[in-house]
Amino acid sequence: MRAAPSEGVARGWVRMVAVARGTTVGARSMTAALIPGIHLSATLAEPAHFSGLEKISLLIGIAISLVLFFWRFGPILRTIFRSKKDNDFSLHPIRRRLWDFVWEVLCQGKVIRQRPLPGLAHAFVFWGFLAFALVSLNHIANAVGLGFLNPASDLGTFYFFFAAAWALLVAVSITALFVRRFFVRPIWLGEKVSYESGVIAFLIFLLMVSYLGAFFVDASGTAVKVLWWTHTLTLLVFLPLIPHTKHLHLVISPFTVFLKRDGFSRIPPLSGDEDFGLVSGKDVTQLISLQVYSCVECGRCTEHCPASNTGKVLNPKEIILGTRSYLNEFGPASETSLLTDMREVPSNNPAAKYMSMEAAFECTTCGSCEYQCPVGIQHLPIIIGLRRGATNTGAWEDTHGTKLFLALEKHGNALGLSAMERDKFIQKQAFPIFDGTQEYCLWLGCMGGYDPKGREIIADFARVMQYLGTTFGVLKKEKCTGDPARRLGNDLVFQTMAEFGLKAFETAKVQKIVAICPHCVRTISNDWREYGIAPEIEHHSEFMARHKARLPKQDSGESIVYHDPCYLGRYRDVYEEPREIVSLAGELVEAPRSHERSFCCGAGGGLAFLGEESGERVSHVRAAELAGTGAQIVGTACPFCNTMFRDALSAMGEAPPQLLDIAQLTARALPASEMRTGEQ
Amino acid sequence: MKILVAIKQVPERDAQISIAADGRWIDESDLSYTINEPDAYALEEALQLKEKNGGEVVVLCAGPERVTSTLREALAKGADRAIHIEADDLGERDTLGIAQLLADAARAESPDLILTGLQSDDLGLGQTGVVLAELLGIPHATIIMQVEVTTAGLKVKRELEDGWFQYVEMPLPALLTIQSGGNKLRYATLMGIKKAKTKETKTVQAAPATAAQAITLERVYLPEKQKKTEILTGTPAEVAAKLVEKLKFEVRAI
Repeated sequence: MRAAPSEGVARGWVRMVAVARGTTVGARSMTAALIPGIHLSATLAEPAHFSGLEKISLLIGIAISLVLFFWRFGPILRTIFRSKKDNDFSLHPIRRRLWDFVWEVLCQGKVIRQRPLPGLAHAFVFWGFLAFALVSLNHIANAVGLGFLNPASDLGTFYFFFAAAWALLVAVSITALFVRRFFVRPIWLGEKVSYESGVIAFLIFLLMVSYLGAFFVDASGTAVKVLWWTHTLTLLVFLPLIPHTKHLHLVISPFTVFLKRDGFSRIPPLSGDEDFGLVSGKDVTQLISLQVYSCVECGRCTEHCPASNTGKVLNPKEIILGTRSYLNEFGPASETSLLTDMREVPSNNPAAKYMSMEAAFECTTCGSCEYQCPVGIQHLPIIIGLRRGATNTGAWEDTHGTKLFLALEKHGNALGLSAMERDKFIQKQAFPIFDGTQEYCLWLGCMGGYDPKGREIIADFARVMQYLGTTFGVLKKEKCTGDPARRLGNDLVFQTMAEFGLKAFETAKVQKIVAICPHCVRTISNDWREYGIAPEIEHHSEFMARHKARLPKQDSGESIVYHDPCYLGRYRDVYEEPREIVSLAGELVEAPRSHERSFCCGAGGGLAFLGEESGERVSHVRAAELAGTGAQIVGTACPFCNTMFRDALSAMGEAPPQLLDIAQLTARALPASEMRTGEQ
Repeated sequence: MKILVAIKQVPERDAQISIAADGRWIDESDLSYTINEPDAYALEEALQLKEKNGGEVVVLCAGPERVTSTLREALAKGADRAIHIEADDLGERDTLGIAQLLADAARAESPDLILTGLQSDDLGLGQTGVVLAELLGIPHATIIMQVEVTTAGLKVKRELEDGWFQYVEMPLPALLTIQSGGNKLRYATLMGIKKAKTKETKTVQAAPATAAQAITLERVYLPEKQKKTEILTGTPAEVAAKLVEKLKFEVRAI
């Protein structure tokens, strides 16, 4: 025990010691007993005197460190600023941005929520760094006599102990993260072990230890000097390493999160006659540049990607890193193609395949990557941007894709059937044509208008509306919303479809639309905005949930596993409404991956219309997962998911679960008088 | 190689067709139009030949103002220039009359190769290309599936009946009428549409019709639905004999 009152008085610590005793007495005695010669002081020890040589060395050290930092960071900043301006960028809505900043950056909400343990460890390191900012500043300032936090003051005592608590948490957390990266080695971090991460982890550990050590030494001895210089040198080495590694996210990701484009999977409008999407470096915008340099390579995007998980080439993380390498190699003004199919790539470059057309066109646009990203990277505008670049210029030559575009051009529906088939279906169902007297316009969509199973869903939903006494009519002529063209990057077809649809709604004076397809809902309510304002639209799950009090409660006791469609969940944030409907029909069962972590059915992004996929089928993986819950029924809320699972479940062989849309689950309990004959 | 593609604009396949009041043509108000399908394949063949052998593709279309949209689409798909023969009275000209309009424009271009669809989706006469070749005095081949450029001229694959094909070698200049389905069509791209804006479309006025039509259209009508049921009676052998007779002589199916 060294904090004798007399000594305390001599050093002016009287009040402090009294305070410190209560808190540290136990630890001190223990330490003193275990390691002779080392004792825990009640205060942080700071070297009392710095020689001129030390001061000069420090200043030179700082100068070298800063120069090295900007040596690398300068070019990155230049690349970001020299990238093309984002024409549609606006800081509005500022409140949402501030909230995201507070939740995602300061609270580390996303980091923790989607990967609780490593997320928490990361959060401790982050919060520890914040707590340490003041300590580090004071640490350096001390050397030139500008220290502002006196360890002996009340504030100083409090703060240094506060920081010490954080230092402990950081040291433990960074050790845990080190163990995870180098011994547990989750594959999402990449096959190659990142040694630089090891170095950084060691530096962080050293920073913490050299800080904590100062509580155990005398202020006058050489030990304190050694600790002080160790801490300082670690800081000075750490700084220039930041822009060389993924630790650049320390500096720029707070900006990335704050500045990210407003809206999920928001595809920016093309600007001018020379813009066809992401063709080459000159098309890469400032936001994209900022985002790709922010990537922390955590691999959450890839972990959740349906393509990566089923043995395809696409790896969203590698698309981001590929774009970053491109910018490093060619710069933001380059005319060289971003996709590796159309530029010379050394044959031994293993990363080339990740930036290929094949990879870009394997994306189902399920949005898991963008949803998961903790540093604000928006993958979808980038992947779809690459597709736009390939499709709008005609570089993408795909038999199925071409067939789809021609079908949309010619017949106005993605299934390539004659528009008269829809007329016949409407006639057979005796759907009234919307004439302005009805409350809702019932949007059929390609699936509802042409696909046998989709027609069953529409017919059943119409029965539900009739049962509820809601008036509705259908458009006389309807074309596809352009969703598959939009996601496959065909702006010409998409624009044609959007303009046709907007005009059809305007002519018919539609006020409210309801649709069974989340893709239609998303495209009409969101993507069409580029060309006009569509009437208000909602998904049938939202409609039915609003009227659930008047819908029959079924006592079937059947277990129903609900599959969240990507375009309803992640895209529209509708999770509970369809569950309410499912709960009316039976007992709701959750799939292992549900809500915002739901796994795609494989149909999105126009992929339902493309050819056979390589590797495992996404739909089979998901169908097996749903069937694996043991539920008797698979409940869907999207006609595309439904059609994918129909094939996948029937391929699974014996007694697969029944497959029903939420409209069918509801309609089956309606009184027979509401029955209509025939579904096609 | 300079290739001229003669195309026709026809009503959209899904269009609701109704007969005009005079019963001599369809009601053209409220119709949407598109490129005649075999002509789309002729254009595709021309574009692929150009991609392989270089040269120029010029599209040619006769008709009223509305046909310029089809010409623009052809330019968007990759044609280099367009010629619009402005004529509002095509209904009053027969195949020879229309072929003469096309021949006048073609002579001014003196192309190495003229391609056109083997027939039109609306009238389906299948003669315009052949008559045009005759007027220009150049050789022609019809129902072509494949075209290959050789040192001497062309080697083409004709579709015959019953799954038979014929290979023909012919000199240039020549005219070919192209069958649907020989190639895969391409989709129009945004870049194509933007580029098309800067491409030249020349408009020429149609010369007045010189001769009276050799053929006049008397009546146009929607296909009449026929359904006739007849039950044959007798022993199985008798029924079989009667059935064969009917198939042979009445329906002429065997």
